[in-house]
Amino acid sequence: MSVRRSNMRLILWGLMLTAAVLVIPHLDVLFRLWLPDAREVIYRRDSFVSLLGNHLAIVTAAGLIATLLGVGAGIAVTRHWGKDFLPLVAQLASIGQTFPPVAVLALSVPALGFGTLPTIIALVLYGLLPIVRNTLAGLQGIDDDVMEAARGMGMSSLQRLWQVELPLSSDIILAGIRTSVTINIATAAIGSTIGAKTLGDPLIAGIVNGNGAYVIQGAIVIALLALCVDSLFERIGCALPSYDQGRI
Amino acid sequence: MIRSPSNSVLVTLMLAALLTLLAVDVATLQPNRIVAGEGYSLRAIMGLDGLLLSLLPFMFATWLAWFANARRYVVIVVILLVYWVSWPWGMSLFAQAMIEPGQQAARVGIGPGLWVLLFLLLLMVLEVQTRLGMPHLGRWLLWSAILVSVAVPFWSGVLNDLALVREYQGNADDFAAALQYHTLLVGAVVVISLTLAVAMALAMRSHDGLKRSVFAILSVIQTIPSLALFGLLLAPLAWLSSQFPLLADLGVQGIGWAPAALALIGYSLLPMTRNTYVALDSIDPNVTEAARGMGMSRWQVFFHVRLPLALPVIVEGIRITSVQAIGLAAVAALIGAGGLGTFVFQGLGQAAMDLVLLGAVPIIVMAVLVDMALSGLAAVCRRGVANAEP
Amino acid sequence: MQNHDTPTIALDGVTKRFGDECAVDDITLAVNHGELCVLVGTSGCGKSTTLRMINRLIEHSDGQIRIEGQQIRSFDPDQLRRRIGYAIQSTGLFPHWSVSRNIGLVPRLLKWPPDRIAARVSELMAMLDLDPETFSDKYPAQLSGGQAQRVGVARALAADPDVLLMDEPFGALDPITRESLQDELLHLQGQLKKTIVFVTHDMDEALKLADRIVVMRAGHIVQQGKPADLLARPADSFVESLLGGRDLGLKHASLVPVAMRMSALNGECLPDDESVLDTDSLRDALSVMLWRDTFRLLVRDVNGNPIGILHWRDAIRGDDA
Repeated sequence: MSVRRSNMRLILWGLMLTAAVLVIPHLDVLFRLWLPDAREVIYRRDSFVSLLGNHLAIVTAAGLIATLLGVGAGIAVTRHWGKDFLPLVAQLASIGQTFPPVAVLALSVPALGFGTLPTIIALVLYGLLPIVRNTLAGLQGIDDDVMEAARGMGMSSLQRLWQVELPLSSDIILAGIRTSVTINIATAAIGSTIGAKTLGDPLIAGIVNGNGAYVIQGAIVIALLALCVDSLFERIGCALPSYDQGRI
Repeated sequence: MIRSPSNSVLVTLMLAALLTLLAVDVATLQPNRIVAGEGYSLRAIMGLDGLLLSLLPFMFATWLAWFANARRYVVIVVILLVYWVSWPWGMSLFAQAMIEPGQQAARVGIGPGLWVLLFLLLLMVLEVQTRLGMPHLGRWLLWSAILVSVAVPFWSGVLNDLALVREYQGNADDFAAALQYHTLLVGAVVVISLTLAVAMALAMRSHDGLKRSVFAILSVIQTIPSLALFGLLLAPLAWLSSQFPLLADLGVQGIGWAPAALALIGYSLLPMTRNTYVALDSIDPNVTEAARGMGMSRWQVFFHVRLPLALPVIVEGIRITSVQAIGLAAVAALIGAGGLGTFVFQGLGQAAMDLVLLGAVPIIVMAVLVDMALSGLAAVCRRGVANAEP
Repeated sequence: MQNHDTPTIALDGVTKRFGDECAVDDITLAVNHGELCVLVGTSGCGKSTTLRMINRLIEHSDGQIRIEGQQIRSFDPDQLRRRIGYAIQSTGLFPHWSVSRNIGLVPRLLKWPPDRIAARVSELMAMLDLDPETFSDKYPAQLSGGQAQRVGVARALAADPDVLLMDEPFGALDPITRESLQDELLHLQGQLKKTIVFVTHDMDEALKLADRIVVMRAGHIVQQGKPADLLARPADSFVESLLGGRDLGLKHASLVPVAMRMSALNGECLPDDESVLDTDSLRDALSVMLWRDTFRLLVRDVNGNPIGILHWRDAIRGDDA
């Protein structure tokens, strides 16, 4: 996708998200038309702005930690000193991804209890997997001859990592982070069932109380958030040229 | 494929397991269903002598891993399996010792230390299996043994005092129904989306513009979080069922199976269509050209050349879709779609952790089993292709 | 600073074992300053392994390797590699870097000031016939095979190393490009006088480029010597077959310039198109004779002036020695 189109997409979704968060609280009349009998048609327990902020903070924190750990683990097991761990980590990353995120989230409760922190930890654990897997794929996919030349020219292992390996695998690693964050936005929404304050709150409250208006309001904001973040990654991806020649 | 004599991975995992067993509680005792249990360490249960005795084989395995070779790996696997097989029985002994006959509601639980140990044991088996380069059949036997050795004590009544089993017994009928429903929902979704995907892939092969817009729409759907998509389907479906009583009679409404199935199909379409399209599109034109050139009819080319070559990739699509659908169906329990997710959310609502486990663990096992089975099938298909090609 | 008595590269009883397998077995070899030494042999004979042991991409198991008298083990491997140029068949250019950045890699690793690097990069591009205007900002994916290999050679030469290791650098190129790059390498070597170890499986390439050929087989050196020596006295049937068996005579002829066998003009008049240059090889001359169905050829110098005559008897008589 061209840079201009991805800019447009990002701006479009961003504006729609902002508009939704700001305008929904004032749409009493509209929702009243749909649900004339409901006691309340706008979710007001928390403002959508604060829920959005909370949701973003949880996803961002989990994403940053998972990226650091995941890329770090991927680098570690592809170094000479860590290669013993490579088969196990690679298998773990691929088997772990078959675990449904909601099950991982649920299992974090018996282990860690209710609340925001257990949610973040569950998101980190689950979010690690696609990042590790893509980091491995990116680093291992680099043409052997390029690495041989880098060594032969006398680049130190750190120089090879920073100047050759990471730049050449950056687009694949980014794709992994994107997958991880996309899943985490969805899982964080479910996190409101284990006591994290997120955009899932209005949805869950709506389902529990049979209030369709809450459900729609939550759903719209979550969907727009996901699309907005996804197009942000699309835009970042545009800034990274891909180097097909360097990859097998 | 055994590289270095000392397997640092196994040694690390084993040391971690030893530390866990020494420091973290392995079992809990709960007076009733809701109250959090009291933790017991292995030492508290077995005494110092018993602790050391029970860890002795493990230390031996650690030593073997430090000087590993093919034969020692086999011994290590055997030791690991012994631990794996014996924990339910140990748990049963613990329950007999701790629960007095009158305490109807009392139950024992798996402590955090034991969870960690079980996880580490599985990792170790995985590691040894990789190092030994076990053949497919061997792996299947190994993992079947692991599964059966847990299933037997569960069903034989040995673990009747375990909280998880109590929870199961309290919900046995519901559990069977939920399992069946979950399977049915996922199965139906996979079949429907496969049919749709094949039709769309075939249509896209002849209309290039269609391809871009379909993939664009499908990837937008895939991006939207499941909970939101369920929510977004609520209003239109509710409206439909209020307008058309026939639909309402069929069970189509804002909550329940209808939005769940629709959303699941929506999510399944992207991986399924993409794989089907790629499978049909990436076949070397030289191959079909040669087939046509040798006088095969269009249908013969499709059935004897295209389909066998495409099959592994399509099966791979089914695998991705099924695993994804199993997880999403669990989320759908939130909107009243039923299935195993019901236990998870009920458990979370009642703060009954064992009910959460009763939902979450089978979901994971189901996802892993389906993943293994379908990747095995894809491998078989691929081997067929490899054999077909000279 | 160089002591010309000690060879620039010296391998002494060098052995490389991979597990139980012996890839290189007790090799002793000395390459002198300014010498272009070609290791040649069938694939798997250990020639690449030998080359890669010199810059410690592979560590040798036994024996000693010295560069200018110093054990290579006494250097830090990265530092060692920065002072040895290295070019490989697939070029190994970094796909995410422009041509000029690729060429400037080693000078940058050696922390040269930026303007010195820039000057050096344009000097090298000019030297290797790569127009800086056109090429400096291109990426490797945009280059043809020949251009990429020129960049690869330029990168190897960038920090002006005394020693250059080349691992089948022209192996993947089409015959015409390969030949022009071979000519260019010879031309460069005439000016730069590097000490080059060059690996190839192509005996014609070896004969054309080498000051000295080292024939390897199954980890051993079978024979080493000047190209003409090898052709005159192949050590065994293996070397003979590598040299091309019945083509041996023609290969030998290709090493001898026409100037060595021509005689003076005695006012004879020969047709214009039956002529060769004095720098052409006897092989070329014999080919022209066969084609033109003639026994004599006019010999001209580079300016086109007739300077002698080549008789077929002189062309095919035994060695000049």
